[in-house]
Amino acid sequence: MSDNNNKKIIETEVPMGMVHSAAIEPYRVRLFVEDEIVRDAEITVGINHRGIERIMEGLPVEKANSLTEKICGICSNSHIWNSVLVAEKALGIEIPERASYIRIVVEELERLHSHLLYLAHGSEVLGHETFAMRLFYIRETVMELLGMIGGNRVQYGAPIIGGIRPRCDLNEMRIKKIKEGMDFLEEKVAAFADRFTSDPMIMARITGVAVLSKKDAIRLATSGPTLRATGVDIDLRRDMESYDPFEFDIITQKDGDVKSNLLVRVFEIFESIKIIRQAIGNLPPGKITNRSWGMQDTPIVKSYIEVPRGKLYHSYKLEEGRTRNVIVRTPSITNIGAMEHACIGAHITDAQLAIVQCDPCFTCTDRAIKIIRL
Amino acid sequence: MTILNSLIAVFGTLILAFLVSIWLPGIERKFIHARIQQRVGPPISSLGIMAPIKFFFKKTIIPNSPMPNLYNVLPVISLLSCVFIFLFIMPQMYYLGALASIIAIVGLLKIEEVIYMFMGSLSKSILSVNMPFPDLAKGGKHRKATRSFLEELSSLRAFRLIAFGSFPIYIAFFVPVAIAKSIYIGDIVLYQQINGPILFTVAGAIGALVYFIGYMILLNEYPFVILKTKADVIEGPLLEYAAKYRAYVYLTRGFLMFVLASLFATLFLGIPPNIFDWKVLINIGVAILFPIAMALLSAFSPIFTFRQFYPVVAGVSILGILAIIAAFI
Amino acid sequence: MSLKSYSRARAVHVMLVYTGGCNGCDIEIVNCIFSPRYDAEQYKVFLTWNPREADVLVVTGPVTKHTEKPLKEIYNSIPEPKAVVAAGACALMGGVYKNIHGDIPSEEIAGPVDEVIPVDAKVPGCAVRPEDILSGLVATLPKLLEAK
Repeated sequence: MSDNNNKKIIETEVPMGMVHSAAIEPYRVRLFVEDEIVRDAEITVGINHRGIERIMEGLPVEKANSLTEKICGICSNSHIWNSVLVAEKALGIEIPERASYIRIVVEELERLHSHLLYLAHGSEVLGHETFAMRLFYIRETVMELLGMIGGNRVQYGAPIIGGIRPRCDLNEMRIKKIKEGMDFLEEKVAAFADRFTSDPMIMARITGVAVLSKKDAIRLATSGPTLRATGVDIDLRRDMESYDPFEFDIITQKDGDVKSNLLVRVFEIFESIKIIRQAIGNLPPGKITNRSWGMQDTPIVKSYIEVPRGKLYHSYKLEEGRTRNVIVRTPSITNIGAMEHACIGAHITDAQLAIVQCDPCFTCTDRAIKIIRL
Repeated sequence: MTILNSLIAVFGTLILAFLVSIWLPGIERKFIHARIQQRVGPPISSLGIMAPIKFFFKKTIIPNSPMPNLYNVLPVISLLSCVFIFLFIMPQMYYLGALASIIAIVGLLKIEEVIYMFMGSLSKSILSVNMPFPDLAKGGKHRKATRSFLEELSSLRAFRLIAFGSFPIYIAFFVPVAIAKSIYIGDIVLYQQINGPILFTVAGAIGALVYFIGYMILLNEYPFVILKTKADVIEGPLLEYAAKYRAYVYLTRGFLMFVLASLFATLFLGIPPNIFDWKVLINIGVAILFPIAMALLSAFSPIFTFRQFYPVVAGVSILGILAIIAAFI
Repeated sequence: MSLKSYSRARAVHVMLVYTGGCNGCDIEIVNCIFSPRYDAEQYKVFLTWNPREADVLVVTGPVTKHTEKPLKEIYNSIPEPKAVVAAGACALMGGVYKNIHGDIPSEEIAGPVDEVIPVDAKVPGCAVRPEDILSGLVATLPKLLEAK
């Protein structure tokens, strides 16, 4: 009945999840296999559906902003930042330059910890426990820096409408610590990358596995580093106003296999370190919050930003200081197609690797999806 | 008197082997993996001794299986076949003739492997098909496909491993056979007592390498862990064991580590395990050295899928055949 | 201390079930087991993904409707003696997802963990800190050790 994309009838199905050792998040994947080679895959999300957009409906905008942070524990700053950007765009608020710089520092630190987590999870799925542990050790530095800036290791809530939270201002001591942390990270990640790419067993495992071609990636509306790994040179950071003062390169790889995906993330780590160094090097003095703004009713305003996983979209309209018609679209929802496609043709042990290579974050994704009742 | 002596020797050696073997998983985890991963690691008694004792004290449950009793008995059979292998390589048992030969040991190891297949097809864990989840919803893909448990996948893999995965270790067994020109373990040991250990000949050295790879494949250690990899089948055939049956699984693994290393010492060094001989220390030394070498390799390797597994096994098998040819020359 | 309690204290197998939190707690718990800085294995805590092997079940998240039944099934398949640790604000009382509706009951959330399965230790925090997770695990030990 539903065998329209495969002519042969597939006979065996192996369901995995929603509790599984390779997939840390709760999601269900059904793999359709023939002789241990995956012929088709189906990823079911919606397990995590908590209805956060409905909760946000009608909340005061400041409250709604801090609620968006609870969408995801990995890219929490990206959500709150984008949500704040929507309000600022709608109300026409200018933010001080210093606040903009500090937002960039927090966002890039978040990209660092997200990419390191991605690499660690990838190593774990590859079966390489030692690398996973070393990467978690490196990542701990970033978590401590984030804890120092925001006061919490995971949800730090730095941006507020008009600037950043006073707690998150960077003084001399903090800048010194961030500098030291960046030096440590650069050294350790470079050593790791050398070791990783010169390991013949790992390279044999990941080269040419779970390939996503450029054409398919564009057809499936992939976004973020997964798209850049197939050779498409798109990064929203290039067009974002906040990133204008900084020099950085956009990393692309050609092949679209697991190796390219891992390498894109590794090189992006170095670019993030570069951005953070520039930001804390020329941190402008002055105020960190612009308090002179008034609330008014606005039509629906949209905002797109580049987050560690790709393109993030937030939009809402303001009515009497309350949010209405909230829509959030996270990068992982567009990458699900790529995940299912990358599985096809891989050995079943590589199937989870093919899903992990697209950097899934299903807790982000499971907000606005309607539960289909049986 | 001699019978009594032999009995004491056999049981003494068995108990000694058991006492050493329960420390091996802990040593592997604490001194090798944890040190390489730059952390403190668990105490060495935890994995090999305390975990089985803990499982013995847990409440027994009925596993999700079409034949729960048969499923629960399988690890005991596996442990017994290990014990028999160990009995047959002791010098007191050489009068048994055909039983104390390479053929009997190959047969017993085959039991060890075949059991994984039975385990896989009998286990029906909650973690895949049985998970209460609305899979076959309207609009789902391929709704008529047969739904297979994760363990069935591992059962299939166990079948493949029987077919080709254990080649290296069996070929390595026949290197000493070819050199000593006898399949009886007694003769192989005697040959080495006269002519020196086989390990120090060219054929023997290559054979030892092949034996080591075969040892890792038989123990399902990284990178040859495809039977129970965490990336897809979680623990594979062992998923449903709980309480004391899981304790047997734990003990079997530690004991098999010891037995295979001890077999190596017998076949390649000419030192069978015997508690009345000071050379048993060398035997135990080899048994500790083998897991350490295995752990060193496994800490730095990812899982091999069949794409890497086939070439490795084929290459190692060819090496083994070369060793046998070298032995005849 | 009897051999039974001694062996139970020396090998604690922990299983994690995520029931729809925001990933924050989940990663902190994995961090506490995998990161060499916290290294739960030095306190004889081992991570497992198999309910048949587990002693302690760590649950995060507010238990969405989809995860209610699987959570119960997994809890039932752990052999006795067993303990449950609820980690994070969502697991304790539903977090922002359950409580911000006011009087209107939430349609998506089946309730905090202790409405679904019995909970022995509660670890607060949003997100929980790795140190707190370890102390939460330790808090369940007396129950495990004294069980028959």
